[in-house]
Amino acid sequence: MIAYILRRLFALAATLAGAALVIFLMLEILPGDPAAVTLGLNAAPEALAALRAEMGLDQPAPMRFLSWVGGLLTGDLGLSYTYRVPVAQLIGERMAVTLPLAFMAIALATLIGVPLGILAASRHGRPEDAAVMVFAQLGLAVPNFWFGLLLVLAFAIGLGWLPAGGFPGWHAGFAPALKSLLMPAFALALPQAAILARVTRSAMLDTLQEDFVRTARAKGLGEQVTMLRHALRNALIPVVTIMGLQFSVLIAGAIIIENVFALPGLGRLVFQSIAQHDLIVVKDLVMLFAALAIIVNFAVELLYGLIDPRLREAS
Amino acid sequence: MTVADEPVRTRRWWLGASFLIGAALTGLVVAAAMVSYVWTPYAPTQIAILNRLKPPSAANWFGTDQFGRDVFSMIMVGARNSLAVGLGAVGFGMVVGTTLGLLAAIRRDGWLDNIIMRAADFTHAFPAVLTAIMITAIYGPGMLNAVIAIGVLNLPYFARLARGVAIQIWTREFIQAARAAGLTNWQITLRHVLPNVAGVIVVQATIQFALAILAEAGLSYLGLGTQPPNPSWGRMLNEAQTFMAAQPWLAIFPGAAIAIAVLGFNLLGDGLRDAIDPRLRRSR
Repeated sequence: MIAYILRRLFALAATLAGAALVIFLMLEILPGDPAAVTLGLNAAPEALAALRAEMGLDQPAPMRFLSWVGGLLTGDLGLSYTYRVPVAQLIGERMAVTLPLAFMAIALATLIGVPLGILAASRHGRPEDAAVMVFAQLGLAVPNFWFGLLLVLAFAIGLGWLPAGGFPGWHAGFAPALKSLLMPAFALALPQAAILARVTRSAMLDTLQEDFVRTARAKGLGEQVTMLRHALRNALIPVVTIMGLQFSVLIAGAIIIENVFALPGLGRLVFQSIAQHDLIVVKDLVMLFAALAIIVNFAVELLYGLIDPRLREAS
Repeated sequence: MTVADEPVRTRRWWLGASFLIGAALTGLVVAAAMVSYVWTPYAPTQIAILNRLKPPSAANWFGTDQFGRDVFSMIMVGARNSLAVGLGAVGFGMVVGTTLGLLAAIRRDGWLDNIIMRAADFTHAFPAVLTAIMITAIYGPGMLNAVIAIGVLNLPYFARLARGVAIQIWTREFIQAARAAGLTNWQITLRHVLPNVAGVIVVQATIQFALAILAEAGLSYLGLGTQPPNPSWGRMLNEAQTFMAAQPWLAIFPGAAIAIAVLGFNLLGDGLRDAIDPRLRRSR
C-alpha cells in the first residue's frame, strides 16, 4: 500500500512539474518577449526595459523557470502588472467567491443527479426512467452559460427574486452573498447533474444484478433497504470517480459562469488578466487551475485504490 | 450464419429514436449552414439602425438585434462557423490522435507507447479552456486559435480510444496470418487495424463534435473565439445580455441553436454507437 501511494505521489509530482514546464514554455518562451506582450505594440523602450527587469527577463530561461517554481512553492507569486498588488493576495480575495461557488455547484449536482439516477434505475424501462434520460440529454446539450441567462430571465428579470449578477461580498452578510451565488451555482450544476444522473443510473443497474443484491432480497430485506444500503453503496464508487474527473470541467465552467453573473472570482480574474495582457497573473492562475485539477484527479485515484485493492496491483 | 447473429442483423438500428432525432437535428443545422451560403433572409452583417431591437415578426422571424441585424440570418451563418470550428478541431484531434494511438498499439509498452500515453494522460488532466486561454493570451482571440485549443483537447480521447481498440485487434488471428504473409507493421496497421478501428472512431468523433460546438460557443461568449463581424452563436448571447430585460428573444434563439446542434450530434453519436456495437447499448 505504501509503495502504491509513493508511486502515485511520484506521478503527481511529475505531472505537476510537466504542467509548470508547459505553462512556462507557452507563456514565457513562445511569445518571444512577454514584456512586449504585456505592454502592447506602442510601448516606450524605457518602460519595456523596466518591465523586463521586473519580470526577471534579463536572467536565462532555466533560472527564470526555477525561480518561478520556487516562488510557487513558497507562496511568492510575483506582482500583478495591472493591479500592482501581489498575485497571491489577488488570488486569495477571488478564491472567497470561486470556492464557495464550486462547492455549491457540486452539492447541487449531487442532490439533483444522484436521486434521479436511483429513481431511473429502480424504475428501469418505465416512464420515470425515460424522463430522467431525457433530462440527462438536455442537461448535457444546454450550454450552462445559456442556462444561466435563462435563469436570470426567469428569476431576476421576471420574478425579481434573485439578483441578476454581481456579488455583495461576504461582509454584507451570509444570506445576500449566498443569494447571489445561487443562480450561478445552479447554472454550473446542470451539466454535472445530468452526468451524475446517467452514471448513477448505470452503476445502480450494474450492482442490482450482483449476487449480493439477490441475497439481500432473498433474505427478505425491503426494497428500500436493498436499494440504498446494498446497491447504492457499491454503485457510489464510479459515481465518486466521475465527480472527481469532472472537477476540471467544473473549473472551466466557472470561468464562463463568473463572467455571465459578473462575479469577482478567479474565473473573471483570469479573463480580465488576458484582456489586460497581465501575463504574470495569467501564468500563476493557469498553474493554479491546472494544479487543482491534477491534485483532485490524484486524490480520486488514490481513493479508488483504497476502495478497490485490485487497482493497486494494476498500476 | 449462426442463430446468435440474427438479432443484430435484423434489428433496425436506423429506426432507433436516438439516431432518428439526432439525424434530424443535425440535418437541420447542416442544412442551415449550407443554405446560408446561397441565401439568407437578409445579409447577416447588414446594419439597419432604424429597425433595431424589433421583436420577432413576419419580416424578421427571430427579431433584430441592437444594430438592426436580422437574428435569423445571423443564426444561419453562425451555424456555418460552429460547424467549421467543430470540423477543424475534431478533424485535427481525430487524425493526429488516431495516428498516435495506432502507432502506440504497434509495440505495446514500448517507449513510444509510454510517451504517447503519458502525454495523453497529461493533456487529459489539463482543462481545455486553460489551453485556449493561454493561446489567446499570447496570440489574441480568433477562430483559428479556438480550433487549435479545442483540437488539442480532442487529441487524447482519440489516441486512447484508437490504442485500446487497436491493441485488441493486434491479438486476433487474421493479424498473425498477415504477419505470416510477410506484411510489415505499417501495412498491417493500414490494411487491417485501421478499418477495424474506424467505426469506433467515427462514433467518438460525432460525440466530440458536440463538445467542440459547446466549447466554441463558450469561448466565443467570452470573446475568445469567432470575431465580429462574423456572427457566432456564443457571441450573440454575450451581446444579448445587455438587452435581455426588454428583448429576451435575443438571448433565447442563439442559445436554442447551440442546444439543438449539441443535442443532435450527441443523439446521432449514441445512435451510431448502438448500430456499430450493440454491446455498448446505453439502454442498460
